[in-house]
Amino acid sequence: MISFTLNGETVSTDIDASTPLLWVVRDAFKLKGSKFGCGAGLCGACTMHVDGAAIKTCVTPIAAVAGKSITTIEGLGTPDDLHPLQAAWHEYAVPQCGYCQSGQIMAAAALLDANPNPTGADIDAAMSGNICRCGCYPRIKRAIQSVSENALAYDAMAPAGESA
Amino acid sequence: MKSVNVSRRRFLQSSAVTGGGLVVGFSLSGCSTNAVPLPVAAAEGGWTANAFVQILPDNTVRFYTARAEMGQGVTTGLATLLGEELDVNPLDMDVRLASAHEDYNNPLFGMQGTGGSSSTRAHFLPMRQAGANTRMLLLQAAASDLGAEITTLSTDNGHVVYAGQRYPYASFIESASLLTIAVDAPLKPADEFQYIGRESRRVDAISKSTGTADFGLDIDIPDLHYAVVVRAPVAGAKMLTADTAAARAMPGVTDIVEVASGVAVVAESFWQATQAASKVQVEWEETDLSGIDTARLRADYAAALDAGDGVEGPDEGDVQAAFAAASTVREADYWAPLLSHSPMEPMNAVVRIQGEAADVWTGIQFPFAVAGLVSRMADIPAENVRFHQTYLGGGFGRRGTITHLAEAADVAKQTGKPIQLVWTREDDIRQGPFRPASLMRIKAGVDESGQLVAWETARAGANISPDTFRTLLPAMYPWLGDFLVEGVANASEIFFENFSTDESSTEGLFEDYDQPNTRVTHMTVDHGLPLTFWRAVGHSYTAFAKESMIDEIAQAAGIDEVTFRLQNTQSSPRRQNVIRIAGERMAEMTVPEGHHLGMAMHHSFSTDVAEIAEVSVENGQIRVHKVTCVVDCGQAVNPDIVRSQMEGGIIYGLTAALYGDLNLEAGAIKESNFHDYRMLRMNESPEIEVVIVDSGTEPTGVGEPGLPPIAPAVANAVFKATGQRLRSLPLKLA
Repeated sequence: MISFTLNGETVSTDIDASTPLLWVVRDAFKLKGSKFGCGAGLCGACTMHVDGAAIKTCVTPIAAVAGKSITTIEGLGTPDDLHPLQAAWHEYAVPQCGYCQSGQIMAAAALLDANPNPTGADIDAAMSGNICRCGCYPRIKRAIQSVSENALAYDAMAPAGESA
Repeated sequence: MKSVNVSRRRFLQSSAVTGGGLVVGFSLSGCSTNAVPLPVAAAEGGWTANAFVQILPDNTVRFYTARAEMGQGVTTGLATLLGEELDVNPLDMDVRLASAHEDYNNPLFGMQGTGGSSSTRAHFLPMRQAGANTRMLLLQAAASDLGAEITTLSTDNGHVVYAGQRYPYASFIESASLLTIAVDAPLKPADEFQYIGRESRRVDAISKSTGTADFGLDIDIPDLHYAVVVRAPVAGAKMLTADTAAARAMPGVTDIVEVASGVAVVAESFWQATQAASKVQVEWEETDLSGIDTARLRADYAAALDAGDGVEGPDEGDVQAAFAAASTVREADYWAPLLSHSPMEPMNAVVRIQGEAADVWTGIQFPFAVAGLVSRMADIPAENVRFHQTYLGGGFGRRGTITHLAEAADVAKQTGKPIQLVWTREDDIRQGPFRPASLMRIKAGVDESGQLVAWETARAGANISPDTFRTLLPAMYPWLGDFLVEGVANASEIFFENFSTDESSTEGLFEDYDQPNTRVTHMTVDHGLPLTFWRAVGHSYTAFAKESMIDEIAQAAGIDEVTFRLQNTQSSPRRQNVIRIAGERMAEMTVPEGHHLGMAMHHSFSTDVAEIAEVSVENGQIRVHKVTCVVDCGQAVNPDIVRSQMEGGIIYGLTAALYGDLNLEAGAIKESNFHDYRMLRMNESPEIEVVIVDSGTEPTGVGEPGLPPIAPAVANAVFKATGQRLRSLPLKLA
């Protein structure tokens, strides 16, 4: 039996300890927002927070997260109570197919938690583990910048009349 | 004004399951004869009839999108068209994904399919007409209920306004259901549009940012079992022997069955199924393909081009005489490799068979194929197959194929269990169906005045259409025996090999410029790899060849690339316009030392796009810093979605231009996952600026046209940077 905290609640499971966290969360706890993309830690669609760090959970055995705190996209915000990044994703019309966006947002949230004032290069570095086949990168970057502490300075640079 | 009766029975049927509400449908294909009930109200546990709009008692306006939403924004677009005339803000609608029914046919295809960048142009008038007719009906009902002249009523976002009072549309749905619906209510003139052409957000952004949008992989039903197939590394190879004992002993495994593509391992979870599948030992037969590698593929194509014995396509004027008279002549070959679509959501489908009926959940570009295919595989009547569309986690053409659905139905039938069949990422990259490889030869001639006078071109490779036809046939004709399906599919292959060029193979190779003498030939060389449409289809490779040659011949003739393109597109003012605007942008650009600008223009899916790539070469690596895209797609229904589709097309195309390369080794694809089939990532993604030029026409395509110009724009910039003319994709410096 392995116990951990999932979106603020203590949970436990007797699923085989080698099972990746992604599948435990999706199959046992029925949270389907985190996605399967490659199964090899290469695309980031499965990204969750483990003790605040963005982790690729398709290659993270459940044994490795015993006693740790896990946050999924469902724990970050809901349609009625959006996290600022989720609101920015709507504002900047970031998602296209949307499949990778849970992972993108979790990676971005971990970045801003650790570095509320990221440069463009910081954003590139933090987000380069997450693939988007629809090519939403320019919008993801803009949305992250809009939420960062740089946002006021960033917005002030935009010509009057343009939406931030 | 023509009218049709809204069936009272239909209204009662639908209200019985939805708990009240007005259902308005319109048939794009004439009167519906299909009695299949539609699961459009599935969320409420009911079924309802042919419908695009429901107005519920709480004034919720529910919109059923007829086209597959794979990220291209079609749901927002169609809701905007309907909402414009119905007078309901699309962002206030409750958007649902429609099931399968002939009323949801694509007017341009005559069947229910999404592709070819067709949705907005196909629905621009029909969807608005549906909204206008519905609004007219509500106004008539309101006039009757309020005892008012209809001319004294107006509407405002889901409400009828009369004498200063706002009445929700829902207050009139009882009366509306008893009236006759207009079929040709007048449409708004463009200068009264309040949603079309305006900046707006997407209707699906919040669900897709909160993990609440359902994709096929997220479907969860009681007793669901998961299947993974152990597949032949060489396409089409038959299984000789299989040792499944070790797999059978693995935890959670419930069934192991043979399917057409190999051995399906069924377990209580996907993870268990993949673990067990890795223990299956299969011996596969050797086939002709087993001896083929990429070098041989390319050599075979080159030999076919050299032999010159192909199927004649367009042949206008006299190219030989024109070459003899031309002052500058260039000839070159261009290579484009095999590619995988690799949508982020791996292919998957859920099939549940219960007695003589089945339910299917999957995100698919061709819902029309679902009932026939599942009826064939499960041996049940097609009218008993209920289809539940989901969001598509990327399409790009890949979700126009149905092999995974056939496999899911086969396994569900054999095991008697509800099955979710999933292709792993390795299956996705290695198994296809692929974007075909192509070797293209172009010979171009220019006269003293800089006029392009002759264009002779040939393409060698396999054809997409017969492969797609082969895949869809069993679904289209479920009663046709396997032997006959095979025969008809083979006949279509022979047809394209010997009698007619497949449009998908040569489109874009010769059409965009004004040369009076043109000759197109196609050499079919098919090694048996499975193929299908890949974003922009033939244009994805032909634009690279054509726009590279235009750059080469302009340079050889000593004319700058903008002037040359303008001079040779005089028959198309719209094409000239995007070239001219892109050229003006290019002239204004100041770039850092070591950065170079390359241009390309391509017409596809009725849309004209010119792109400028700002490129540098550092340590032998090509780096794309900025792309400026000038697009004329007619009326932009949602300008921000047009921009996002251009951005997406450019990044998808740039991934292919810089990295995309699947290689055959002994008939099998060598690459397997994103470590060796590399994707463009954020740190490599250029800044992209999109300039929308509106020529005032009705909408044309946007999902695909942004892609074709990017590879040649980058290659043309690399030539300026290095003097190297790169004629093979992906672009690699010597």
